[in-house]
Parts: sequence; structure tokens; C-alpha cells
Amino acid sequence: MTMTCNDRNSVMNQKTILTLAALSLAASLFNGCGKTDSAPPGGDAKTEAGGRAYTIGMSQCNLGEPWRVQMNADIRNAAEKHPGLKVVFKDAQNDTLKQRSHIEELVGSKVDLIIISPKEAQPLTEPVAKAMDAGIPVIVLDRRLLGDKYTCFIGADNKKIGKAAGEWIVKSLGGKGRVVELMGLMTSTPGQDRHSGFREGIAGSDIEIIFEADMKWLEPDARKEMESALSRFDKIDLVYAHNDPGAHGAYLAAKAAGRDGIKFVGIDALPQEGVAYVQQGILDATFQYPTGGAEAIEQALKILKGEPVPKETVLGTRLFDKSNVAQGGQELK
Amino acid sequence: MSQGPQPQLPSGLKRFVASPAGRAFIALLLVLVVGVVFNADQAFFKIGTHRDTLRQASVYGILACGMTLVIISGGIDLAVGSVLALVAVCGAKMAIHWGWSGWLVIPASLVVGAAAGGVSGVVTARLRVQPFIATLAMMVLARGAAKYASGGMKVSTAVQNADGTYRYVDVPALFRAIDTRILGGNLSMVTVIFLFCVAIAWIALSKHCWGRYLYAIGGNEESSRLSGVPVLAAKTCAYVASGMFAAVAGLCQAAQEQQGDPEAGAGYELIAIAMVVIGGTSLMGGRGGIGLTLLGVLTIGYLDKILSINAVPEAGRLMLTGIIIVAAVLTQRRNRT
Amino acid sequence: MTGITKRFGEVTVLREVSFDVCPGEVHVLAGENGAGKSTLIKILAGIHTEFAGTLEFNGRPARPRSPLEANALGVAVIHQELSLIGLMSVADNIFLGRTPVRAGLVCDARQREEAAHWVRQLGLDLDVRRPVEQFPIAVQQLIEIAKALSQNARVIVMDEPTSALNAPDVEKLFALIQSLKQRGCGIVYISHKMEEIERIADRITVLRDGRWIGTTPAKNLPRAKFIEWMVGRDLGEQFPRRAPNPGSERLRVENFSVFPGGSSAKAAIRNASFSVRAGEILGIGGLQGSGGSELFFGLFGAYGGRTQGSVRLDGKEIHFTSPRQAIESGVAMLTNDRKATGLVLSLPIVANATLAALRELSSAGWRRPARERAAAEQTTQSLQLRAASLDAEVGTLSGGNQQKVAIAKWLQTRPRLLLLDEPTRGIDVAAKREIYQLMDRWTAEGIAILLISSEMPELLSLSDRIAVLHRGRITAGFTRAQATPEAVLAAAMGQDHFAANAEISNP
Repeated sequence: MTMTCNDRNSVMNQKTILTLAALSLAASLFNGCGKTDSAPPGGDAKTEAGGRAYTIGMSQCNLGEPWRVQMNADIRNAAEKHPGLKVVFKDAQNDTLKQRSHIEELVGSKVDLIIISPKEAQPLTEPVAKAMDAGIPVIVLDRRLLGDKYTCFIGADNKKIGKAAGEWIVKSLGGKGRVVELMGLMTSTPGQDRHSGFREGIAGSDIEIIFEADMKWLEPDARKEMESALSRFDKIDLVYAHNDPGAHGAYLAAKAAGRDGIKFVGIDALPQEGVAYVQQGILDATFQYPTGGAEAIEQALKILKGEPVPKETVLGTRLFDKSNVAQGGQELK
Repeated sequence: MSQGPQPQLPSGLKRFVASPAGRAFIALLLVLVVGVVFNADQAFFKIGTHRDTLRQASVYGILACGMTLVIISGGIDLAVGSVLALVAVCGAKMAIHWGWSGWLVIPASLVVGAAAGGVSGVVTARLRVQPFIATLAMMVLARGAAKYASGGMKVSTAVQNADGTYRYVDVPALFRAIDTRILGGNLSMVTVIFLFCVAIAWIALSKHCWGRYLYAIGGNEESSRLSGVPVLAAKTCAYVASGMFAAVAGLCQAAQEQQGDPEAGAGYELIAIAMVVIGGTSLMGGRGGIGLTLLGVLTIGYLDKILSINAVPEAGRLMLTGIIIVAAVLTQRRNRT
Repeated sequence: MTGITKRFGEVTVLREVSFDVCPGEVHVLAGENGAGKSTLIKILAGIHTEFAGTLEFNGRPARPRSPLEANALGVAVIHQELSLIGLMSVADNIFLGRTPVRAGLVCDARQREEAAHWVRQLGLDLDVRRPVEQFPIAVQQLIEIAKALSQNARVIVMDEPTSALNAPDVEKLFALIQSLKQRGCGIVYISHKMEEIERIADRITVLRDGRWIGTTPAKNLPRAKFIEWMVGRDLGEQFPRRAPNPGSERLRVENFSVFPGGSSAKAAIRNASFSVRAGEILGIGGLQGSGGSELFFGLFGAYGGRTQGSVRLDGKEIHFTSPRQAIESGVAMLTNDRKATGLVLSLPIVANATLAALRELSSAGWRRPARERAAAEQTTQSLQLRAASLDAEVGTLSGGNQQKVAIAKWLQTRPRLLLLDEPTRGIDVAAKREIYQLMDRWTAEGIAILLISSEMPELLSLSDRIAVLHRGRITAGFTRAQATPEAVLAAAMGQDHFAANAEISNP
């Protein structure tokens, strides 16, 4: 007298397939086909001084990082100042293939100019080249492409920022001190650059790096590493973290341990994060990793008017510390 | 019971060493010995180091408590890291931006966690979708919900005014209470919360019918069903509990960062699973317990700390941790008859 | 096959069995459940490789060490549970294990061509690229036969091939068997169905309890003798039972149908009607697949209430939709597979013995370990369970002791109706006697028992009355005095037989 379990299995299979189908449908709806978002102001009625309205397509590789959200915000704010400018934003949600199709869509809808912050260099070089062939100028922001088939590149230089941080730290500690370096993901270029730039900036001084660890840009990891440093070393003068969340985590660790007198330096300087930390006295200094959004619009206007622009623009950084944060920081070239 | 002229271990000790608890204990002991040897200028012997080890392991440990319940019942919960983020964001919003008191924030956060767990539970138990897939879907869903609720930015003490400037709110009392130290600065509050979670999970598993049902379902679901065990309700409750533990972890995380980060907790579910598995609870279900998980939490926590105070570079840490996890699991398997 | 003897552990399943097949004949292999037919076939198919005895193929000794080798020797087996892989295509299935390859790459086109050829031979016209599971069971069975043919099998074994077929398909199968005979294939046909055996058998071999009873041309074996061979005159031990003293009616079932797969699917039990009184044992006879376990599951609410018809327990109408409900109403079900559906092997004896009654042994959900232990001790001792400690994992116990733990679990719920499905399966003789004595005691206490047993002697001597199932219908009802092994077996194989005073009806 045996039981047959086949029926139960087939019921479960049907249910599983239906549920999976429903879930994947929902997931794809959430992902969307890439989000589009236009800048509110202006509309089409007003025109630029040159007599026509311009449409700019902006392809962002992802909006998961607050820094990129800031980049879009900077572009939007800069564009708002020019009534004839309309910006169409596309978010590729960190999918290279999506970003490729976004570029093709923008070319297809014949925008006047494209700004792109690419996810990766290799897969996006060709679509951009095709856009150039179609007569649409392309500004590349933050991450480079291969070759030179684009109008211009605007980006920050992490080495320079690291070096500026190093130099500020040397000045602030009077040339000597015991420093902890909390590094970002050292398999990424920004991490490596902010590290090597920093070492360049402190070269020749009596600054001693007593402890360094990779906190992978994450605040909880930075806090954990700082605790280890605190338990090993009784005297720490300053903590240099590759980003502001890391510096914040180190600060909280020191505060919980009751260790005063340590300075904290970070990088990124987002208004609601790094700059706010300086204003609240949590960080002693932070260095802006500029998004280049405003510069992009500036150069876009020049291009649209037919004026020449430099092929490469390396952005400087801004220092925010107690002395200048109220004035919006100090520009360093 | 010694035989002949050779001294032997008493049989009680032999049995302990062969048991899952014994093996987990030995693994922890080995890690501690490594710490003693590589003590990073005596740092390993400072009480602060131990306090910090427990602190940093606590959030993972809280997740591991819920994970133990789910794994014993024969399932798995991959969503706990995302639910942690969701509650971190919601809790931060409630406590920082809306100024709610802890008495409101805590129950509300538990409700969010329970709801997320409840969805996972219903999809798994009633719709008979495999737990791996159901909780994977919830992992994505909860992460999306966290990002949506936070607007993509961290929910912090810097609150944006209508005109775009920022005003700074105080860190709420609830967060300050969670992120403190007691016992003369030698024990973190989050560790106390973790141990409290361990106690609750232990009571449920050992003292309540529901715990026995979870073991039975994990051991043989059909036999349990035919013996009148309320399989559907018990399994769903396991996922609800896991969601609630994730909520507690989320509040602890937010308190320790003084903000609600929608990206928090990424990958935490795997660490929680590793802690449960190293402790000796079987991934097939039906065997294990909270005591074992506690040993697993300490083993991984101390290993992490030892690598940290010795400033071992990242690549080395990953490889060592991986090797040790595999070794621990292999020794468990060999000794099982 | 000569002098085949096979042992599993201490249990001898086949004893000096001889069997042969000639080209162009249908040789029926018959016997009750547990007679050893499947084991013999598995030896022929190369699935069991350790046995005593010899095999000869075309006069040459050979010993297949794997199914693949058996195939190479010309043996193809069509199992009762089809061995096709549902998700794979027909062509892939036919050539499974013998996929034509060239330099490691599968020759898809050639495979398809050949598969289509074989399939056509069977009168089928289908697309060999489609996955097998899309075709109805009848077609799948023919695909299995095509697979056997494509292996150029000289001996084809068919194990209950018509269990899933309807009448027209059965005719097609028989026509096919005729053409296979003409080709010179020898066919080993395993079946329980009298009508079929009488139709197609050339020779018949009967096994009983692992022993060879006889082989003879079919025309020399009248039905009565056939059944006598299957059942045997000697009933082994009789189990003396006290005079039954049944009380009031405990269970009355009328027009009961069970649909395991949902109401649209096939009914496992159709329009069954019977009753049991307190202190009475109603035996449920029938062969494998006749629906006994499904009847129990349906009564117990294990199919979520997918039943129809009227069930009355002590006069009260009931319809259980979950096992929990049944247990709370005093019904208990001992399943026929204690390892898979009866016990949780990873838990200790105490836990298993208290699993069904855990709620009652606890206070508002909080467990009372002392109470549980006392209850477990009491029930296991009354069953004479021999174990070192109550904390031993049930998976480490012997079969007999495991069964006692399962029984202890159900006793703890103080049932008034016990559904026992093969309670002595896989248990040594001493433990069996203990369980028979227990059943005696239970009926004395007024518990009503429904008993499924595939061991004829056991069924006949324990039951006060017997209802026999055949393909989901009750075909016969007997009182204790009227039940003979031949009559029961005949009814199990499809013959209707209703004795007077049996109070078992089938409208």
C-alpha cells in the first residue's frame, strides 16, 4: 500500500513557478527600464540667450551612492540658473548594458549634448564614439573612457586630494605626530590614489603612521578598526580616513572610549555629511571630492555656443575646516 | 574509568569533546590561543579589547539568534541584512527626525521587522516556495524599501530644512542609551542586548512547545505534520522571530552609527549563517541550539578581532577566515556518526 | 537464474529461487507483496550485485555488475515507477546512458532520428524533442518500452505495466506484447491482476516468502491452484485471540471517497462504506496500490479534508481537515513507513514519544520536561521497549524498537480509534508477538482498530472482520469465520465477493 507523492510535487512546482514569475515581474517593475527624470524649471517656452532651448541628456551610472545623488543635484542646480536648459536624467542602476542603451536612446532622441558618468571605461567607449559621430558632443565626468573620442573630460584627482590632506595634516600637527590611516577599498583606484597621495603629502615630515587598516569605505568597519588601534596605542594624535563615514566611525569609537584630543580628517565633504560633521565639531577637516556637476554645465554651455573647451579639466578640491566652514570652505587648486 | 596502566581521559570528558558543544568549544579555544600568541603588543590582554570584540560581534550575533531558529526548522533567512537596514532607516527616522521616544520606537521597529519576517514566512510555509528563494526575494524587497524610505541618503542628525540648509538635531536618548558602556566601561550595552536575545531564543527553543516543534519540523516535516504538529504556524513564527531579531539588530546598528544607513547590513546574513554553522547547528535542520551559536559568534568575533589588532592586510584576512570556516565545518562532519 | 539467494542483513529475501525465460514467451512472475519478485528482477537488472546463485544468458554464465551491463546482455526493465526523466526530451530519455557521441559532442540529429524510428514502431506519432513529462502516463510507458526496444533487449521485464493504464491502452499494450513475442523477445510480466494473467501468460512462476513454489505452463494452472500456490495452506502461527466482545459502533463510514490530488484528480478511494465497533479489529486487505494507506490518510485528515462522504465517530459526524483535528478527536494513525513519515529520527525517544501529545503535557505552551519524561517512561515500559536511555536518538534504535516508539507516541494521545498501517513491517518475530499481544489488550480496553497488513496470516488471524480493497473500491467483506486466504486474495485481485453478515457494503 504505497502513497503517491507525485501529486503534491506537481502542485508545489506550479505554485513555485507562479510565485517566482510574480516576484520577478514585481522586481523588474521596481527596477524599471531605467528611471528618467527631467529638470523642473524653465519649460520649453523660454529660450537661452542664443535664441533656442537646449536639451542635455545626463547618463548616471547609479544613484545608489550619495555622492552621485549629489552630482545630479549639482547638475540640476547649475542648469536651473539657465532658463533655456533642459536636462534629462537617466539612471543605469549600475548596469553597464543599461547605460549603453541609455546613450543610444539619447542619441536617438537627438539631444543637443550628452553628459555621462560611466560605470566602466571599455564597454561605454564605443557608444560614446557613436554619439560623437552623430554630431552630439559628449562630456565625460568622473571616470575616464578609453581613447579620446569624446569632447572633454572633467574629473577630480584623488591623488591631489590625498596630497592636500597630507599637507594639511603636516601643518596641523606641526610636522610630527602619530597618525592612524583608515583606508578605503584598496582594490579600488580611489582608495589607492588617496593613499599614495597622502603618503606623498606627508613625505619628509616626522609624521608616523602607527596603524593602517582597510575599512572598505564602511563606517562600522572603520569603528571596529579604530577600536583595535585604540587598544594597541595609548597615544594617537590624528586619524586620516579615506572617506567621511570612515572618519565618523573612528570618531564614535574614540568618543566611546573616552579618548579626547584626537583629530579626525575625512574626504568627500557632502553637505549633509562631511561638511555637517565639521560644523558639528566631529571632524577637524574634510576635503571635497568634487562632483564636477556645475563645471559640466558651464562647459556644456560653452560647447553649445561653439566655444572651445579644454580636453581635460582636473578639478581642484575644497578644504572644509573649523576656520572656513561657515564661509563654504576654501578652494585649493 | 581508566584501563590498565595508561591514564585515560574520563569518559565524561571524552563524550563532551565528541559532542557538538565540545567541538565548538575547542574551535573557540584554538582561536583564543592564536590571540594569546599573536597578541599585538599585549593588546589582546586588555579588557577593552574583549569588550570591543563583544561589541562588534553583537549585531551579527543578534541576527544569528534569529537565524538559529530558522535553520533548526529546516529553512534559511537571507533577508536579515536588508531588514536590518530597513529598520535602521525607519528607527532613525522615528527617533531622530520625528523625535519619538524609545517606548514608541522600539515596538514600532519590532512591528516592521515582524511584518517583513511574516511575509517571508507566509511565502515559505503557505505558498511552499523554497526558503532560499523566498528570503532572497525579501532581501531585495527590503533593501529597496530601505532606500525608498530614506530617500537614498542616510537618515542622520543633519536634518534638511525647507530652504536647503541643515540643522543639527541631538542624538536621541534611545540611541545614546544603546551605544553606551556599563560596568565601569567594561561592557557595551549592545552586548547586553545580544545576550538578552540569546536568552530569549534559548527559552523559546528549550522551554516552549514551539521550540520542540521547530526541531521536529527540521528533523522530519512530514512526520511532524502527521503527528499533529502545527507546521504552518510554527514555521511562519520562526521567520517572524527572525525579522524581529533583525529589527533589534537594526536599532543597535543605527544607534552605533548615530544614523540610519539604507546600505547597512549588506552581507551580514552570510556572517550570521557562518556563526550558526561554525557553532555546530546543522544546515539541514533538526539539530543544534543557541548555546552552539553563542560559541560560533565568539569564535568568529575573536578571529575577526585578532586579525584586526594585528593589522593583517585585507586579502590575508579573507583567506584565513575562509580557511578556518571550512576547517571548522569539516571537523564537525567527520565526527558525526 | 539458478539457486538465487539474497540476504539483506539478517533477513533472507530470496531462498534458492530458479527462474528462466525463453524467447517468444510471456512468463508471468506472481506472488504476494514481499514474496521477492522485485528483488529477483533487480538482480536480473544488475541493481543488486551481491547474491548467491548463477545467471546464464543464452547458455553462457554472466553476472551484470550494473544496469548498463545488464542492458548490454540484453535485459531491459520497465519499472513500475517509470525511470524516465520528466524534464528531458523523449529522444534524450531513450538514449540515456548510451548517448551517441562523436569526439565528446552529442549527435543530436542522429539521436532524434533513431528515437523517432523506435517510437514509430510502437504506433506513436510524437515530437521526440518534447519533454517526456508533457505526455500522459500511458504514452510514457510506451516510451519506456521504446527505450527497451532500442536497446535490442532480448528479455523485457514489465513490472505492473498496466497500473496506470485505462482499458484501450491496455489493449494496445497487449497487442504490442504479441508483436514482441513474434520478434523473439522473452517477456517477464509481473502483475497482480487475475484477468490479465489469464489472458497473456504462457508460463507462470509463483514465489512465496522468498521461495520458489512452482513454474508451469499457464494452461496447467487453474485459478484455484494458482491462488493456493500464492497463499499456501500453512498459515504459520495462529495468534490466539480472546473471544471478541465488541461494544457500540465506533466508526461508520458511508460512500467515502478520497482525493489526494484535489477533487479534480483521480480518487484513491471510491465510495467506500464500512463500520467498526469498539473493541473490534477491522482488517483492510488488498494489494499494493489498492488504496489502503490513502484510506487512512483521508480518514485522518492528512489530505487537508479532500474527501467526500459521511464519516461518523461514536455517532458524531466528523470531517477532519488536519491531523491535529483527528488527534484531538481521539483518532491515531500509525503510518507504514516509520522512518519517513512516522518518526523524527534526529530527536531522542522522549521527544518522539511525546510529540503528538505535547500540548496536553505542557502548561499553556510551556513544556514540563518532568511530565514528558514520566509519560514517555510509562508508555515505553508498557511496550517493553529496550533502550539504554530515553535520550537516545531514535535513529540509532532497531526497527522493532523504533516501531514501539511510534506506537508509544500514539498511545500517549489516548485514542479511541487506531489506524494501524503495516504495524509489524520490518520487525523481528519476537517484537511482532509483542505487538499482537498489545493489540489484544487495546481491544480489551475498547479501542477500535483498523488494520492494514500485507501478510495474509497476520491479517486473517488478527481481524474480527475484513474488508478488501481493489483499486480504491471495496470488493469484499468477510467475517472472521468466512475469511480464507484464497477468498481474500481473489477479492484483492479484483473478484467481488460479499459474504453475508459482514456488514460491509459497496453500492
